[in-house]
Parts: sequence; C-alpha cells; structure tokens
Amino acid sequence: MKLAGLKSIEDAHDESVWAVTWVPATESRPSLLLTGSLDETVRLWQPDELVNRGKMTGHCLGVASVAAHPSGRIAASASLDSFVRVFDVDTNNTVASLEAPPSEVWQLRFNPQGTMLAVAGGGSASVKVWDTATWDIVATLSIPRPEGTKPTDKSSSKKFVLSVAWSPDGRRIACGSMDGTVSVFDADRAKFLHHLEGHFMPVRSLVFSPVEPRLLFTGSDDTHVHMYDAEGKTLVGAMSGHAGWVLSVDVSSDGAAVATGSSDRTVRLWDISMRGAVQTMSNHTDQVWGVAFRPGGMPGRLASVSDDKSISLYDYS
Amino acid sequence: MQHTDPEKEGKLRRLQESVEAHPDDPSLRFQLGVLLWKEWDDKEKAAEQFLVAAKLKPEIEKGGAFTYLGLYYAGLGSESHTQRALKCFQKAVSLNPDDSLSGEALCELLDQQGKESLEVAVCREASQNSPRAFWAFQRLGYLQLHQNKCSDAVHSLQHAIRGYPTSAHLWEALGLAYQRLGRFTAALKSYGRAIELEGTRIFALLESGNTFLMLGSYKKGVETFQQALEISPKSVSAHYGLAAGMLGLAKECNNLGAYRWGATVLEEASKVAWMSTQLAGNLSSIWKLHGDIQLTYAKCYPWMEEGNGLEFDMESFDNSILSWKRTCCLAAKTARCSYQRALHLAPWQANMYIDIAVTSDLIDSLDNSSGHDLSAWHQSEKMALGALLLEGDNSEFWVALGCLSDHKALKQHALIRGLQLNVSLAVAWAYLGKLYRNQGEKQFARQSFDCARSIDPSLALPWAGMSADFHAGESAVGEAYESCLRAAQILPLAEFQIGLAKLALASGNLSSSQVFEAIRQAMQRAPHYPECHNLNGLVSEAQCNYQSAAVSYRLARCAITNLSGSDRKSHMTDISVNLARSLSKAGNALDALHECEDLKKEGLLDVEGLQIYAFSLWQLGETNLALSVVRSLAVSVSTMEQKSAAAPVVFICRLLYYISGLDSAINSILKMPKQLFRSSKISFIISAIHALDQSNRLQSIVSSTRDYLKSHEEITGMHFLIALGKLVKHGSECCLGYQSGVNHLRKALHMYPNSSLLRNFLGYLLLSTEEWNDTHIATRCCNVDTMNPIEGGLKSAYEILAAGAVACYAVGTCNPKFSYPTCTYQCLNEPGTIQQLQKCLRREPWNQNIRYLLVLNLLQKAREERFPSHLCIILERLITVALSDEFYHNDDSSYEYKKFQLLLCASEICLQGGNLTGCINHAKNASSIMLPDGYLFFAHLLLLRAYASEGNMVNLQKEYIRCLQLKTDLHIGWICLKLMESCYEVQTDLDMLELSFRECPTESMNSRNMWGAIFSLVKGLICIWNQDIVSAEEFLAQACSLAGAECSLLLCHGATCMELSRRGCASQFLSLAIRSLVKAQEASLIPLPIVSALLAQAVASLGSKEKWEKNLRLEWPTWPPEMRPAELFFQMHLLAKQSKASPQSSSVEFCQSPQRWVLRAIHTNPSCMRYWTVLQKFVE
Repeated sequence: MKLAGLKSIEDAHDESVWAVTWVPATESRPSLLLTGSLDETVRLWQPDELVNRGKMTGHCLGVASVAAHPSGRIAASASLDSFVRVFDVDTNNTVASLEAPPSEVWQLRFNPQGTMLAVAGGGSASVKVWDTATWDIVATLSIPRPEGTKPTDKSSSKKFVLSVAWSPDGRRIACGSMDGTVSVFDADRAKFLHHLEGHFMPVRSLVFSPVEPRLLFTGSDDTHVHMYDAEGKTLVGAMSGHAGWVLSVDVSSDGAAVATGSSDRTVRLWDISMRGAVQTMSNHTDQVWGVAFRPGGMPGRLASVSDDKSISLYDYS
Repeated sequence: MQHTDPEKEGKLRRLQESVEAHPDDPSLRFQLGVLLWKEWDDKEKAAEQFLVAAKLKPEIEKGGAFTYLGLYYAGLGSESHTQRALKCFQKAVSLNPDDSLSGEALCELLDQQGKESLEVAVCREASQNSPRAFWAFQRLGYLQLHQNKCSDAVHSLQHAIRGYPTSAHLWEALGLAYQRLGRFTAALKSYGRAIELEGTRIFALLESGNTFLMLGSYKKGVETFQQALEISPKSVSAHYGLAAGMLGLAKECNNLGAYRWGATVLEEASKVAWMSTQLAGNLSSIWKLHGDIQLTYAKCYPWMEEGNGLEFDMESFDNSILSWKRTCCLAAKTARCSYQRALHLAPWQANMYIDIAVTSDLIDSLDNSSGHDLSAWHQSEKMALGALLLEGDNSEFWVALGCLSDHKALKQHALIRGLQLNVSLAVAWAYLGKLYRNQGEKQFARQSFDCARSIDPSLALPWAGMSADFHAGESAVGEAYESCLRAAQILPLAEFQIGLAKLALASGNLSSSQVFEAIRQAMQRAPHYPECHNLNGLVSEAQCNYQSAAVSYRLARCAITNLSGSDRKSHMTDISVNLARSLSKAGNALDALHECEDLKKEGLLDVEGLQIYAFSLWQLGETNLALSVVRSLAVSVSTMEQKSAAAPVVFICRLLYYISGLDSAINSILKMPKQLFRSSKISFIISAIHALDQSNRLQSIVSSTRDYLKSHEEITGMHFLIALGKLVKHGSECCLGYQSGVNHLRKALHMYPNSSLLRNFLGYLLLSTEEWNDTHIATRCCNVDTMNPIEGGLKSAYEILAAGAVACYAVGTCNPKFSYPTCTYQCLNEPGTIQQLQKCLRREPWNQNIRYLLVLNLLQKAREERFPSHLCIILERLITVALSDEFYHNDDSSYEYKKFQLLLCASEICLQGGNLTGCINHAKNASSIMLPDGYLFFAHLLLLRAYASEGNMVNLQKEYIRCLQLKTDLHIGWICLKLMESCYEVQTDLDMLELSFRECPTESMNSRNMWGAIFSLVKGLICIWNQDIVSAEEFLAQACSLAGAECSLLLCHGATCMELSRRGCASQFLSLAIRSLVKAQEASLIPLPIVSALLAQAVASLGSKEKWEKNLRLEWPTWPPEMRPAELFFQMHLLAKQSKASPQSSSVEFCQSPQRWVLRAIHTNPSCMRYWTVLQKFVE
C-alpha cells in the first residue's frame, strides 16, 4: 500500500484548517471534500483538482468539526462556541441550527444509517445524539463517574469528551476523553457498556474499522495509535512512530490501512497487519488536524488538512 | 386437434405428392421426414424418408438426416441398432461439428459403452473442426477435468463458457480446474460467478469456502459456509468448513491478543463442530477439529476481572481464578476426549497421539497434580512415544517429545534427533536453546537461538530467549527490550509479555503503550502470577493511574499468598512498598500509612518505605512522628551510596522545610555531610531554600552544588529559580523586586535564547511590572509555539500574549473603520491574538483559562468595534457558561478574581445592549465577591454607570461615595470616576479624588507621567464641555508636556488652540496650534485624520497657500473611503479650484471637477447651506 501526492492547495483557507470530511456522491455530482477552518468558514472542494465549489459562512468563531450525512445531501459544522449549523451541501441553505452551551460541542458524526447525529459533548462529559428528522436531542449518553470518587468531588472526575465514532453497523458509539479513556455505548439502548484503557492523554480522534465492527482505532496525545477489540475491551495493538500528538485517525475503506495526522506535521500511513508505519508524508509545514479517506469505491483517496492553511490530496493504492 | 386434422393431412398429402413427383429430390424427402417425425410421430416412416434423403445427398441440412436417423436407431435400443445410431451420429457430427444434438447423443452413447478415449477423440475432432462447437468444448472440458488434465480443461471450459456464458455448471467446473491448478483467486472468481448465476450451487459454495480458508481469508470463508448451510442445513462439509473457518478466525484473534474475541468465536465454533459430530460421528477428522477447537479455547480463555472496579475482595479474586482454571481445564479435557475418539476411529494416524500428548501436558499444568515420580513415564511422554513408534522419522514428533518430556537427557536427545532428521527445523533449535539456558550453558543457548532466528525470524521463542540475558549494561537492556517486544508481538504469550514488562521497567519504557497492551493481555492469561499484577500496577503507576495501580498491587499480594517459595517474603515486601507508594500518590494517606505500619511491624521498611511513611504521617498532621521517621531515614541515608541517596536527601530537605520551617531546614542542611550534595536535584532544592533566606546562609553550599547541573534544561531551570529568588530578595514589603528579576532573566536569555521557560517568565515579569511600555515587550518576548504544548513555569506563552493584548487598548482590528490606533508600541502579532487563543482552545478545549482569556480579548475587540450584536451574543453565551462552570466555584482567590472579571464583562455587555437590570445584577454579584477593595471599586464604578444611564441620581451618588471609600491602586479607575463625576454633576469632593489619584503607587517616572497626562486630558475635556476653553488649553498643554510625543493629546491641544485663536484670543495660540499639530503629524504611526486639515487651516490663516495645499492633500488619504465627511469633499473642491498645480498632475483633487466635489459634499451632508450656495454659484 502506498500514498502518492495528487494535489495540494496552499492557502486554501485564510487561517488554520481544522476539520475535513468527505461528502458522499449524489446522482448529480461526485463526492466532495468539506473543510472547516479558524477563518470561520466551511468550504467545498471537488477532487482531484480540488476546485473550490463553495464557501459557507455563518460561524462567529473557528470551525472545529465538520460531518457529512451518508446521503451526501446535508452536512453539519460546529464552531468553538458550540454552535452547530446543519446545511444543504448543494444550496448552502440552513437546515437546522443546533445550540449547546459553549464547550459542549466538539466532534460531530452522523450514524451510517443517517438517522442520528452524535456530538461529542465536551465539558458535559457525554455524547449527545440528535435525531436528523426532527433535530431534537433523543439521547444523552453520559460517561459514568469513576468509582471511588464522591459525587461532590467536582473538579477531577469530569471527562471532557473530545471525539466520537459510530460502528459501521450503527450499534455502538465510542467516545474519547481528555484523560485518555475511551467509552463504549450501546447506541440502541443508549447505555454505557465499558471503558477501553491504555491511553493516558487526550484521545482526539477515533474510528471503527468499516469491515470489522469490533475493531476500533484511536489516536492520542501520547503519540500512539491504538487498536482495540471494542467488545472484548482488549487493547490488541499499539502503533508508535509519531513524534507529536496524534490529532486525527481514519481507516481506509478496505480496512487494511490507517492514516494519521499529527502535531509533528506529518501524515502517516500504517499497515494494520504489520502494525507499523509504512509511509510518512511531510508535505505540511504545521500540525495536521485532519485526515480523511474517501469512503467506498476505487480509486482510494486521502485528504489531509493542516494549521499551515493548506489541503492535500493523495492517491491511496 | 380435430379441426386441424384436415389441414395437417392436406399438408402431408401435398408433400407426399411432390415427393412422388420428384423422387430424386432429397430436400423434399427430408421435409417429409421431418413432418412425419415431428407432427405425425411416425418415426419409422420418417426414418425411411431420411434414409433415402441421406443416400441421395448425405450433406443435406448439414447432416440433419443422419441426426434423425441416429436418434431413430438409438430409440430402438438393441445392440445392432446402437451401432448404427453411433455411425449415423458420427456422420452427422463430421458433416456439422456444431451440431450439439448429435454430438451430445454420440457422446452419451460412447459414454454408456465406456469408450472414454473415443469420446475425447470425437470431442477434440469436433472442437478442432469448428470453434463454435461449444458442446464439444464443454464435453471435452468435463472429460479433461475428470482425467485431471486441468490446464487443458481450463482452455476447453473457457471456450465452452463463450458459448454458454450463463451455465453455472461450466463456471463451477472451471473453478474446480483452477482450484486444482492452485490458482485460487481465479477459482474463487469462477465459483463466485457460478453462485451468482445459481445461488444454490452447494458445491461451488463449499469449494470456495475451502479456498478462502486455504488463502487465510477466514472471515469470508465463514460467510460462505454459512450461506451453504442455509441451502443445505445438514451438510457435514459445510459444518466442518464453518467450524474450521471459525477456528482460523479465533486463532487470528488470539495472535492479536484479543482473547475475549477469540473465545467468543470459539464457543460458537465448538457448537458447530459438535453439530457435525452429531451428523457424522464416525469421521475422525471431525473429532480432531472439535478437539482442536476445545484445545485452542483452553489456551485462550481469558480471566476476566470481576466488574467490581476499585472494591477489592480476596475471596472473590481466588474464586474467579479458580473458576477460570476450571473452565480452561474442562475445555482441555473435552479436547482430549475428542482426540481420543478421533484416534479410536483412525488409530494409524500418528499426529493424533501427539495431539493427545500435548493436551495431557496442558491438563497437568492446569491441574497442578504433579505427583508423579520421575521414574514413571508421563502420559504425555507415552503418547508422544506412541506417535514416534508409528512414524519414527518425523522430526516434528521428536521435537514434541523434547518439549513434553521432563527428563533433561531425553529432552536433549529428542531435540537433537529431530535436528538430525531436519537440520533447518527452527523450533528444535529454539527449544534446544531454551534447554541449554535452563542448564546454565549460556554460550550454547545463544548459539542455538541465533541458529533458530536465522532460519525463521518469524519465530517468537528465539527472540524472547535472546532477551532473557541482559545484565550487561544500559545499551543491552534496550536491545533486550526490543527483542522481547518482537517476541511478544509475534506471539502474545503471557510469559513473553511479563518478561517484556520487566525489561520495560529496567529500560524505562513502562509508560509505553506496547507494554500496557502486553501486560493487560498477560493478565488475562496468567492471573495467578503475582508478578503479572505487580507489573500491571507499575505500568498503571507510570501512566499516573494510581488508584488502579493500588488495586493491581492488592491483587498481586493476593496471588502471592497462594504461592509457595523461598523468596516469597522479599516479593511481598516489594509489593507492599509499591502499594503504599501508589496509595500515597493517589492521595490516600491513611491507607498508605497503614501499609507502612504493617511493614514496620515486620521490620521491612527500607529507605523508600520510610519516605512514604514520613510523607503519609506529615499529610495526616502527625508532624512529630514524621520528624522521627525522617531522623531514622537520615541515619539510613548516611550509609547509602551517593547516587541513590539524592532522592531521599531531597525528600528530607523538603519535609524539614514544610514541618519546621526555613531556619531549621537551613540548620539541618548545614549539618549534613557535604558529599551528599553532589546531584542536580539537591542543587535545586537547596537553591530554592536559599532563595527564601534573606541572610544567605547557604551561599557556599549553593554555589558548590551548582557544578552538578549539566543539561540545558537544568541550567535554565536554575536561572528561573535564581530570578525568582531575586524577586523575593530585592522586593519590598508590598512589591516584589521585578526589575532585578527582569535584569537577571535578560542576561540568562542572552545565553539561552531557546528557552521558552525563561522567555515566558520574563514576559510574565514584564507584564507584572505595570510599566507603560512593558506589556508590549512582554508579548514580543514570548513565542506561542504550537509545537511545544508542554511548558513549565508559572505562566504559559498564550497567557502572556492574551494578557498583553488586553492590556493595550488597541487590541485587534487594524481596520480604521472602528478606531485609529495611536499606540506607538503596536506589536506586530497582536491582531492575531484572538486567532492564537482559538488555536490554543482547539488544542485544549477543556482549558477554562483559555476560555477566560478569549472572553477578555473578545470583549476588547467588541469594545473597539462599538459592541456589534454578533460579538455580544457570543460573549454572552461564553460568559454565561463560564460562570455556571464549577471551575469557578473554587474558593481560591485567582478563580474568584476571574469570576469577578467575567461578571464585569457580562455587566458591560448588558450595559451596552441596554439591559440595565442585567447589568446591575451582574455588577452587584461582582461587588459581593470577597476580593480586595481595589478590585471591588470597579464593580461599583459599573453600578455607577448603570445608575447614570438609568437616571437614578440617588443611587448614583451612593455608588460614587462607595467608590471613594473603596479606593483603588489603579489610575484608570480614578480617571473613569472623574469623567463620570463631571458628566453627571455629582456632588463632589474634588480634592479627595485628585489626592487618591496621586497616591496610586507606580514604580517608574514614565508611567506616572503618562497617567498624569491622561488625567490632565480628562480635566481639559471637562473644561471644554464647560466652555472654559482657556483653562482647557492649560490642562492640555500640561498633558502634552507630561506625555511627550503622544499624537492624540497633541491633536487635542492643537484643536483647542485653534478654537482660542478663532475666538480672537492672542495670536500666539495660532503658532502654538501649528506647533502641536505638526508634532502630532510626525508622531502618529497611522496618519490621524483632522490633524492635517486643521494644520492646513492654521497655515492658511498665516497666509501660506502652498503649505495649505500640501496639508490638505495629506488629509485626503487619512480617511477610510466609507467614512469621509462632507467637509472633506468640500475642502477638496476648494483645493481643486485654488490649486496652482497643473490639472494634469496626479494630485487627488483633480480626479474630478470642483463641481463634482461639491455635489459629493452635498450628497454626504445635504443640510449644510454653505455647500448649496457654492453649488448655486457653479450653476450660475
């Protein structure tokens, strides 16, 4: 497996680019790249030439997370003040505006069926699930307090939730916290199942393997990428190599490779079977906040975004 | 039928008549034959016609006559007729090789007679004669496949598929051909096509399942077999394949260490295998598979920590271990039973003996029933010998015997025998190495491991073996760790993993994720080993998870009580010390103390234990006891080696300082032997104590210990400490000695320009000095580097940046739409502060401090942009949440202060948004916080403003008095109060305010002057409001002289002088005005508007037209396009009319005609009659 650079756009945004995701193709257009940035805009790009297809404004602080609905028609973006804007990708009409107290919206993810939007609830130490038909909160999945701490002991027990992921069958939600724990929930019953241990610094990104619903990949500030059996709560692989925080993780659609973006300014490609890095891309000049594989279909594409305001697109084969 | 008969007969009659008319026409005869054959079913008569036709013209209808004849004869059924039929068909095929009917019939006949070679020949001939003879290709393909000529078959079948592309059967056959040729992916594709065409092809499903298993794609294999089972639920092969696939899947999981996953898969696999034994109980291979599954289960079933979290119960732990062992043992016994059944069914299969032997060995190890005497043969050994009796030349059996035997000599013999049979048997070399190592022959062991490793580097044991001896220095430990890591990654065996954790402890890799993974997995498979739990505890501790570390140590102690052995006691001590330490680190001093006391009773307290003991005592307030423990610690330290003594010495110093204070600590340090102080750690602690000591008693020791600082970090850290010391030593009662600290840091930074620690500290000190200019220098000396998030020191770079940005009024926008920044110290990076803070927040969203600073900076930006509503909304949201956060419910004064600030911000936003009730509520809340009066002043100032805009004069007066009572150290407060006082005509005590203003402490002359200047400015402005221009001029002149070149003050002064001269006062005011305005023009960084226009007027009054023109031209670009006032256009019109420059020059006034200028002026301000008059003149 390898990555080959296809196209890179310097100054794609006016400020650091913080979030990236792929908007699936619809009948009328191919799949597009969606990026969010500190410059308070969300932009659309058409591969492989990364032609700018639109710029969406409407946020008053930097955009920290973007997510695309599996239908490819709508997408959501969230800014630092926890304002979530859900919009139509093609027309940029606002579909819904969701507000939460600042610091209580972090990463966003639609479930594979497209019926729910899970939001990593930051300081609320929970994952909030919104119904995508009515745009109401249908569930709040709270991380239970660790045992042995009193309910009155307020300061240390809270786990700031940074990241969230759906399993490919939509039955599990995993979320990563600031203290390094990963929590797994039953999505149907809205019930906490267990923690996955092993990281001891913030887990900023996690993703389930698209082919094996039990496998979960996590990236953490402790510079490691972990592979968990999410059902059996076992750490089954730890991959080291980054020199800085691992800010973003994504799995290729064949489930064989993992890509990571790190604050050491590199993008790495990992072979899961070898449990090691097979390639390091160092074309970014600042920390890499997001990596995203294009879901489904050949040829494989990987996009990365960085604090250096640029977007890069790679061929994955 | 009835009514068609006449027609049918007529047709027949007509044809018969024409045959009779032309008896030699073969085609007519053929037609008649077909008619008779098909419609009258009179085959005999038809045959007659065909016979004649064939005689007349054999090639008629491409030999169709022969086909019918053949069919006729074949239908007759007797021997001779069959021969005739054969010949007819042969003739037909030779005439028309594409004729699948005759071809198939011919082949059927040949097949019945068993003439396979003839059949092949016929097909081959036909296929050679015509590429469209697909029947022949198909036949030929099947036959070739049957004869195992697979590559030929592939060709034939591929050709046949061109003719019958939707024949599932053909695709299936092609798949089989590929499979036999070993082209598995091609085979899978063909089978896949067959299944696609016909979902019920059970053969294709089974074979593709098997192929998947062979290729190692167990998951796909399992799916395929499941599909097969749906079609044929009783299929033994499908059951077998499914179970085998699941076994493969489970083994993959186990190799990852995902034991729980593996176990779940195996449980299901066992069920499936059991089902298949019920379907076909007399197949030994099925029993073997069941045995394999159960054996794997026994080897992977994980011990699960009971879900009791931090609670701990010895009994339940023992029980859980017992039940875990029982489950494993039960599975192993089931496996042995199944193997025995398999052996019973096929006693000639030698490997079955080995399977039983291995299983027996496992059962023995799980049962702990090792009551055998050495002379008797073990069951496992016996069974291994049984296998060898059957197949004495199988090298692997010898290796198995070598592993299973207890006799060293036999072991060695068996392994060497195995190697004699196959010298490149890596396993044998590896076990031989292990054997030698156990016997202490390290040289041989190393050689054997080397051999094994070079033959097969993917074997785990040699890597583990190589790592077992590492006692040869630092580098060797790292090497051993790497090698053991490889072993554990190849094969996640508990023994390897525990070894890895031990090596990690020695090489300092304990906090690594790989070690965590290994030890957690080891715990699932070896919960009865105390060292496993102990190491798990150490790993948890390395990851700062002290509570779970304590739990692990307790488990370890539990596990060790079930163990017997000579060194049990020392292990027990180690574990107890670990437990005490982790409890202490987790903040549980009481439990830690109990542990230490237990150890003390047994007399097992070592240096580390003593430290924990003393620390726990101190935490619990037992200072006297703690001191006595420290004394005994000091006694044991004096006998220790220097290297390891550093930590306890540091501990003693710190505890002494905390318990008995500075003086006693210094005295004790002076008494300590000097050779103890040879370490950088000690140097730090002594320097810290020295910094607090005004009488410098430790001077000599401090300077001697500083020689032991080696690395850059240590040296910069020491400079940090020295600077702190200078702050304390050179400071006065109320104020730290900032300047000396700054001076020291400047020097240190010159030597270590890369140190962010020193930079940030310098920035912090500069901010703290409250010097006029230093806030700007502060932000410049720190470097917000996103790459180095971990920063030591008191304040991080972003805090200094944000604080510095807030400190200057010109915070964000360089857009002059909102204001004209006149700050001459403008920092280059300042406009990006809000962005920088957002970047920091993106990295640490949980950091309340960044949120707080962001709020302050946003407020500053909002103030500068005149409080636009979108910013106010964000701010309101951010502040509301911040205030509700429990973070600010802390009683610490720094949090109180931040809360106070946030409340003031909220209040300000409300005030600006017109929400006076909100404003008053927030400000009242703020004023009720327990903070020094100097801060509370500002809450009351806000209240004052709120009441003022409400028009509530009574409360206003009250708040004014309250402010005067509270007083503040900050000049700005008094200045604001002064402004409010004059705006709302509060009854005042002017002297009191002025006096308080003068009393505000300032370190330097510079800032005192600046504040004085601003105060004079305010007084001047007040005079202007009161129309007392003359005294205003005096105040403003005073302000200008105090502040130096401050352009806005100069502008004010200049404008006031102009006004005075306009009113006809003395003429010197005009020249004064010109002087001030020229200065203002020179001083401003960004050209200020109005200055040049005023100057132009002033010089014009003195009669200099040239200067008037020049200055007016300068005025134009100072205004941003959307803000240009009407008067400016009007002035430009004057300029355009009066200018001496040629109209072709590029001067701005000529870009349009004077009339257009006037029109623009009127357009901007239509109410000014002056412009209209001028326009009228133009029109006239």
